[in-house]
Amino acid sequence: MDLLAHLRYFRAVAEEQHFGRAAVRLRLAQPSLSQRIQRLEREFGVRLFDRGRGGAVLTPAGRLVLAQAEPLLDAADRLQSVVGRLQDGEAGTLRAAVPDQLGGAAVAALLTTFRERSPGGELDLRELNSRDQVAELIAGTLDVGIVRHPNPAAGLAFGPILHQPLGVLLPSDDPLAAQPSVDLRALAGRDLAMPPRATAPALHDETLTACARHGFTPNTVRGVEGLEFTRALIMAGAGLVALIPEPAPAPGTIWRPLTGDPLTWRTSVAWRPGHDGPAVRIFAEAAFDALRTRGGMHTSVPEQQRFPRPVSEFAL
Amino acid sequence: MTNQVLPRKAAARITAAFTDAGVTGRLHALDIDTGATVSVAGTQPVPTSSLHKVPLLATLYREAAAGRLDRTRQIEIPTEARTPGLSGLAVMRDAVRLSLRDLATLVVAVSDNAAADVLWREVGLDTVNRTMAELGLPETVAVHLMTDIHDLLRADRAAPDPSDVNGFSALDPARTNRSTPQELTALFAAVWRDEVCGGELGAELRSLLGGQAWTHRLASGFPFDDVRVSGKTATLPTLRAEAAVVEYPDGGRYAVAVFTRAASPATVLPAADAVIGTTARIAVDALRLR
Repeated sequence: MDLLAHLRYFRAVAEEQHFGRAAVRLRLAQPSLSQRIQRLEREFGVRLFDRGRGGAVLTPAGRLVLAQAEPLLDAADRLQSVVGRLQDGEAGTLRAAVPDQLGGAAVAALLTTFRERSPGGELDLRELNSRDQVAELIAGTLDVGIVRHPNPAAGLAFGPILHQPLGVLLPSDDPLAAQPSVDLRALAGRDLAMPPRATAPALHDETLTACARHGFTPNTVRGVEGLEFTRALIMAGAGLVALIPEPAPAPGTIWRPLTGDPLTWRTSVAWRPGHDGPAVRIFAEAAFDALRTRGGMHTSVPEQQRFPRPVSEFAL
Repeated sequence: MTNQVLPRKAAARITAAFTDAGVTGRLHALDIDTGATVSVAGTQPVPTSSLHKVPLLATLYREAAAGRLDRTRQIEIPTEARTPGLSGLAVMRDAVRLSLRDLATLVVAVSDNAAADVLWREVGLDTVNRTMAELGLPETVAVHLMTDIHDLLRADRAAPDPSDVNGFSALDPARTNRSTPQELTALFAAVWRDEVCGGELGAELRSLLGGQAWTHRLASGFPFDDVRVSGKTATLPTLRAEAAVVEYPDGGRYAVAVFTRAASPATVLPAADAVIGTTARIAVDALRLR
């Protein structure tokens, strides 16, 4: 016996208090409905309705059964709806990753936006550097990620590029902390803490080149992983700074934007081509919108003048 | 930071970079618009070798501006009696016909010795030396052509130990074409300030000086797509040099000349090439911070 189906018939008769009206509502023949209710009564071993000329009235046992059946049927309805959305890709566990130092506000905005757009969707979100994300996306152990560019990953699909401005993390008592924004040139002579080059060689080099372009060549570059350890080293003094997106405030260090936003990290959503089901698409759109509106990222930077050089071999 | 402290700190870093690359060096950097400088032995005489092609071309354009010479005049260049070299006309096998300004283009693009000597014979040593004197560059003196430097080097190479370059005539500023890093920056600055020649000719000369093919020396210190480096190299045994103008999109423009002498006599020394860019950028960064 399909218990849930029979409970639905039972509930309809109880609500209509009449076999004929309930049969019309359920689009069943009345004798067929009567048989099904009798079958349920046999199953439970109790009489559920007092049947008379005026209709069908719940017995005391029937009232108790109805009280238990209603939450059961509601739960079944919710289950049905979740299954439906799973089939549509709006729900289910999506394995996703964000890079380190995306910023607390950005991650919070991403989570909120994703939940709004995918109410039943479960998100298994991890922090992973871009290199590991690329490896996991290709291996299929990650469905979607937010990666930094330049990223030499072949065989991945990318969403639109967003630019995340970097600022400088200083000791709170640093003289430069008194300024609302810091000119990169003022960092001359400092040491720079950066994630180890091996985690993202192209990004590492591009960041240092952009620093040099704007007048900051660090004395030494220290490979440091993780925001907490970075903060600890900066608080220890000795002229060490880090160039990162705005982090959540914490005592001992202070973050200041760079004058003129000379440094940005380019970021986009990445997935395996052909594996962009509805959940991945919802995540990609949620990430783009959340990072842009609440993560401090922007979609474009002013186009850079480029001088033709003979080594480029084509005059474009 | 005061105006004195900064160049001193930059000079110390420049010297350290030279040492780290296994070279000794001389450098002069000049902010073309403010006159601020960074210098490491920048007023000492240096053998100019291929860098004297810049005084040659500046004179060619100044003579053209004075109406004494037509830079579009074409010259037949047979294969015979071409100055030996490793690029450009020197390695070509057939006769060509080129205008003076196209020869100048080859001289900058690939440091063409054969093309340079065609121009030296057209313009004349005396005219080039007189022009440099007029521009206030008395230490910038040419005494012979590229072919003569080639002959000096061949004679030097015949020495008992050709890896011992100490006695090489071509490396002795008293016996070959010479200038100072400071005067070379002043010459580049004069070209960029339209003081050598103005208008269309000035723009053409600057464009031509932007056409050097290689980027392993001074330009390597400025790997920025929006920064223009217009330079000319010079190379002799153990000597590597380049002088250039570096232009930033914010309008900053800096003339820099770097001369290095390597401890090693090797022909290929990437670190010795790259340190020219490294030190040039230390100097330019210091000038941009002022």
